[in-house]
Amino acid sequence: MEVRSAERGVVLITPPFQGTTNMEIDEALLAGATPDSPVVLRIYRWREPTLSLGHFQVVEDRGEVPGLGDVACVRRKTGGGAILHDRELTYSLIIPARSAAEKGHSEKLYRSVHNAIAKGLQSMGWDAVLSETCTCSTASNPKLEPFLCFSRRSPVDLIVEQNKVLGSAQRRTKFGLLQHGSLLLRRSILTPSLPGLLDLPNGNQANLEDRSPSVGTLQTQDETEVWTKHLVFWLKLGVSQVLQCGWQPATMADFPTLEDMKAY
Amino acid sequence: MSIVPENLHYLDSHEWAHVSADEPGIATVGISSFAVEQLTDLVFMALPKVGQEVTAGHEFGEVESVKAVSPMYSPVSGTVVGVHEELVNRLDSLNQDPYGNGWIMKVKMSDPSELTKLLDWPTYKHQCENS
Repeated sequence: MEVRSAERGVVLITPPFQGTTNMEIDEALLAGATPDSPVVLRIYRWREPTLSLGHFQVVEDRGEVPGLGDVACVRRKTGGGAILHDRELTYSLIIPARSAAEKGHSEKLYRSVHNAIAKGLQSMGWDAVLSETCTCSTASNPKLEPFLCFSRRSPVDLIVEQNKVLGSAQRRTKFGLLQHGSLLLRRSILTPSLPGLLDLPNGNQANLEDRSPSVGTLQTQDETEVWTKHLVFWLKLGVSQVLQCGWQPATMADFPTLEDMKAY
Repeated sequence: MSIVPENLHYLDSHEWAHVSADEPGIATVGISSFAVEQLTDLVFMALPKVGQEVTAGHEFGEVESVKAVSPMYSPVSGTVVGVHEELVNRLDSLNQDPYGNGWIMKVKMSDPSELTKLLDWPTYKHQCENS
């Protein structure tokens, strides 16, 4: 993906919906993308702890992880491992296609977004790096992979203190590219072996107050709101390495394809 | 089966179709070497089923690489009469031979004239070189 000239970009922060609605929104934004559509940066949470499966994962495999059998479950359009959406923030980026000839993943977008977030976390005192290791099962090197995304390693995953705190995946269609990912903020009681960013060294409130990047006046110190602002700031920075975007806020009412979306 | 890229018909989304003189109504379908290169490390491929109806320009299957899921679009309309089932377990073979042993499905075409709407090799090659 070459750097594209000026694009419209919109920031869409949606309320915590049920898992099916969250997935429907991402899919509708992608399916509704046209060459004239803006780039969409969306941040969202989930109404209840929800497991999102990678597109080709087998739902029965969740039995590998104790305690996940009764959790609400949806299937993503992107690949990779399963993610438990609990104490985390989910982002999605929808980049409209300019050509049907675009195929496969965009390494540039992937890396630039993760780089921007890594640098942001580094400025706040975390030892955040991009993984260069891979537990990936591929056709040329098939192997058994952990069920959960955050137990896997693939290149460009964001690692803090040897723990994965951010993973992303993409889906390409003729309409555009969807990249979405999860920033794991705190450990879930359902997956106690996976610490979140704020469970790791340098993740205390004192550090947040001391090292918050300049993102404008914060209305409250609510953790979700603070980290939403951080993530939007860093995602815009990351996207700017691929696209020149002028960003505006948006609501669901601005998208005709989301008109019938109900909040469950 | 001898399939060479110069003799194929292409979608701009990198799928190809080949019609053999031995089976004039049947299109063999696959993805080009350019697509394989862009997809990088392949993880999984979801194939269509024999008997499935496919429509030109519409999805017939999906392929997952390490970082992305991408759809595959059918160059022609018709009925799937053959699927390369073994390919799922040998995806790495697409790196060596996406045109011969890398075929994905065979379609009994409902409208062979659709082939004339596809890109020929020089046009497709030019598109790839300029993308």
